[in-house]
Amino acid sequence: MDKRLFLLDAFALIFRAYYALVKSPRITSSGKNTNAQFGFLNSLMDLINNQKPSHLAVCFDTKALTERHVDFADYKANRQETPEDILAAVPDIKKMLQGFNIPIVECDGYEADDIIGTLSVKASQCGYQVFMVTPDKDYGQLVNENVFIYKPASAFSKAEILGTKEICAKWDIEKVSQVIDILGMMGDAVDNIPGIKGVGEKTAVKLLKEYGTLENILDNADQIKGAIGEKIRNGKADAIMSKKLATIILNVPCEFHEEDFSLSEWNHDMLSEIFNELEFRTIGKRILGEGFKIGSRENVQTDLFGNEIASKTENRKSAEESVQQDLFSQEIMPLKTIHEVAHQYLLLDTLEKRSAFISQLSQTTTTPPEICFDTETTGLDANVCELVGMSFAVKNHEAYYVPLPANREETLSILHEFDILFNNADVLWIGQNTKFDLLVLKNYGIEMKGNLFDTMLAHYCFEPEGKRSMDLLSETYLQYRTVSIEELIGKKGKGQGNMRDVELEKIKEYAAEDADITLQLKEQFVTLLKEKKLKKYLMK
Amino acid sequence: MIKVLTNLEFEGVKIDTHFLKNYSVELEKLAKISEELVYEQAGVRFNLASPKQLGEVLFDKLKLDPKAKKTKTGQYATGEEVLAKLAHQHKICDDILTFREFTKLKNTYVDTLPELINPKTGRVHTTFGQTIAVTGRLSSINPNLQNIPIRTEQGREIRKAFIPRDEQHVLMSADYSQIELRVVAAISGDEAMCDAFRNHKDIHTATAAKVYNVPESEVTKEMRYKAKSVNFGIIYGQGAFGLAENLSISRTEAKEIIDNYKKEFSGIQKYMDDTIQFCKDHGYVKTLMGRKRWLRDITSANFTVRGGAERKAINSPIQGTAADMIKLAMIKINAALMEKKFQSKMILQVHDELVFDVVKEEIDVMKKLILDCMQTAMILPNEVPVVAEVGFGNNWLEAH
Repeated sequence: MDKRLFLLDAFALIFRAYYALVKSPRITSSGKNTNAQFGFLNSLMDLINNQKPSHLAVCFDTKALTERHVDFADYKANRQETPEDILAAVPDIKKMLQGFNIPIVECDGYEADDIIGTLSVKASQCGYQVFMVTPDKDYGQLVNENVFIYKPASAFSKAEILGTKEICAKWDIEKVSQVIDILGMMGDAVDNIPGIKGVGEKTAVKLLKEYGTLENILDNADQIKGAIGEKIRNGKADAIMSKKLATIILNVPCEFHEEDFSLSEWNHDMLSEIFNELEFRTIGKRILGEGFKIGSRENVQTDLFGNEIASKTENRKSAEESVQQDLFSQEIMPLKTIHEVAHQYLLLDTLEKRSAFISQLSQTTTTPPEICFDTETTGLDANVCELVGMSFAVKNHEAYYVPLPANREETLSILHEFDILFNNADVLWIGQNTKFDLLVLKNYGIEMKGNLFDTMLAHYCFEPEGKRSMDLLSETYLQYRTVSIEELIGKKGKGQGNMRDVELEKIKEYAAEDADITLQLKEQFVTLLKEKKLKKYLMK
Repeated sequence: MIKVLTNLEFEGVKIDTHFLKNYSVELEKLAKISEELVYEQAGVRFNLASPKQLGEVLFDKLKLDPKAKKTKTGQYATGEEVLAKLAHQHKICDDILTFREFTKLKNTYVDTLPELINPKTGRVHTTFGQTIAVTGRLSSINPNLQNIPIRTEQGREIRKAFIPRDEQHVLMSADYSQIELRVVAAISGDEAMCDAFRNHKDIHTATAAKVYNVPESEVTKEMRYKAKSVNFGIIYGQGAFGLAENLSISRTEAKEIIDNYKKEFSGIQKYMDDTIQFCKDHGYVKTLMGRKRWLRDITSANFTVRGGAERKAINSPIQGTAADMIKLAMIKINAALMEKKFQSKMILQVHDELVFDVVKEEIDVMKKLILDCMQTAMILPNEVPVVAEVGFGNNWLEAH
């Protein structure tokens, strides 16, 4: 079996996990934010399942000050206070790790970087391939033929494994030891390492190409001309200290015990207890099997107004859980777009195509018929703008676009082809900010008799704070990035074009996608509303 | 509700551009007068619209406050609060505030309202937001009706610009009376407060009588004013500090008033405690209708953060319930207008108020219909009556 050791930088991953979900936080029924726990668990499982490590350990920073703080009082002094939710997550994460029988390594006076560095040296000497799991750039200095950085996926990029070649290419340097020379000069705002004032990455790289090391640069500072030379001469002391701060310490008093670090039997009871506590229903099942259930803490309570309320666990166990079936594998993966997702968006540009579509819709047996719709217009003032087209969707990934001409009479006659649907009081019309579409249609004398489901209002009901544009909802709940309106008509402002002038094929894809996405959102929101017992939103 | 608001936005409201034109000139004159007063007192001419220059005049030249605060950008802070605090020191602050008010009125409403007129309909169609205010209240943009000032005479004048569609119509305004306090009484079940409402007493006088332990007939204006402040302070979760600040009284006196209040209206204190506890247990609070608001910070270890969440926990069900009520009333009115095929239209919603464009022949029926719908839209528990008042006139100010 391959000897593959993965060393995780705990806090780097925890922070990422927490902020990746910060827009749609996971909250348990007792109000606990579990973003960090969830995201960390996700990354961990992703590693175990896809990277097949034989050995794994997680390294934590401790609260104790380190040598670096002693050397340089301002070290990391610019850091904001860690969010409470993250601090509260650490014990949970440690408990999960215990449940997985994964060793936790921490050592007062040293940072996780130092521990990982020390362990990677020791393990590579024992014939291991070591993967340092972290998004942190400082680790580049440690990479060699047996030691790699595993940079986990983010919303913007896929996971990457970085070896010597990649690190050197990334920084444009000869050898990885120069990473700390660069950091010594350019400093690191994240850790409040000063570097040489006025020297950035580009200058640092240029100088290194000429002189090889920071020390050599400083020794030859007198020969360096111009403002740069001046800056270097003034920044010598800072540079030396900065390099020291950026240098990962490799003699931490910790040992690499092969047998402790090898992946072994999980403690199911412990895992099930902690998942229960965190209300990890779906991911819990994935890990522990179908048998895993969130325990029933049935305690019927009455609220202020004497109504019975559901047991705590049921209350806010959001349908985020159902969302997370997808999230499980994809939440930190890049967002999908129209280019990756199979879809069928059809143009209804003739009377025949429209009437076929309308009769197909009016004959569907689903009662009541649910139709997602959206309008495209020449502007944002519903009382002034003109219709450019309408889109419809009744099935996921399948949508239709009806272009409407500039001539009002012609548009009216096409609109009236849809009267059988508009006048049907049984139809449930689904849309995002339907008030706008309704008002546009009302200005053409059209009124929809059916009921409405507005995804924007639905979202407001279970998430009254924050924003809810369709693009944002789509990214948050569907991990899907919609075609941007700016691709069609350009950036906001004076130069922005008019939907009327956009190529038909483009507008069709854009408009049909909107209807399609809204329909998909509606499905998720219905579940969320049910679980949060908020079905009355329609009144609102 | 979506369809109701679509109707409102479709109808829009007629604007008296002639009035606004004249008013703009007048405001400009008034602003100029204040501006000149400021320069006179400052002993120097400068650009009053520049906070930087103003700060230097107030604090470097006039030395109004040796401990003047500076903003992030290193300028002196000259915000409304700062000036209001210094107002008793120097009249110049009052004049600056007046200048700002007039310029703001002119810029945000008087001069912009005519620009918002739809060329097709000749009316202004505001856009309502159902998902902006977290409490459940409606918001509006283009124009923002919620922000039209009502405290000052010049602010109220803006309402004169909103007029009936033609000679055959009048504007009718219907307004819930003390709705949030009624909701407080109803959901807390506080006996004393419910009782006051059931007996149709003036709530602030009744409160003052209790707090100061005097018969209602002996409640002075000042007592009533203070009691009113406490009543509203309660809704917004204000403490002794805030009350003292508001009323310019000592914190000891404020505390005394609040303590008395809590004793006399013990049900309200209990409501506040229970609501916070409920929120801690469930993570959310809800309106009488069941609309929820999650307050994740309620369990925060940070005192300030938690305090903020606690105030929201108390306030949200109150404001939210009032918001739900007026929405229910709107749905009811809209249905009735359609069903009875009235010509009159509902056109605006602001805070606790609805505005209608009413055909003169329908004035009496509309009055009855509106009051009936508003008062029965949501029945409050503990037999707390819901009261709405209606008025009409040739512009919104007259109608209100």
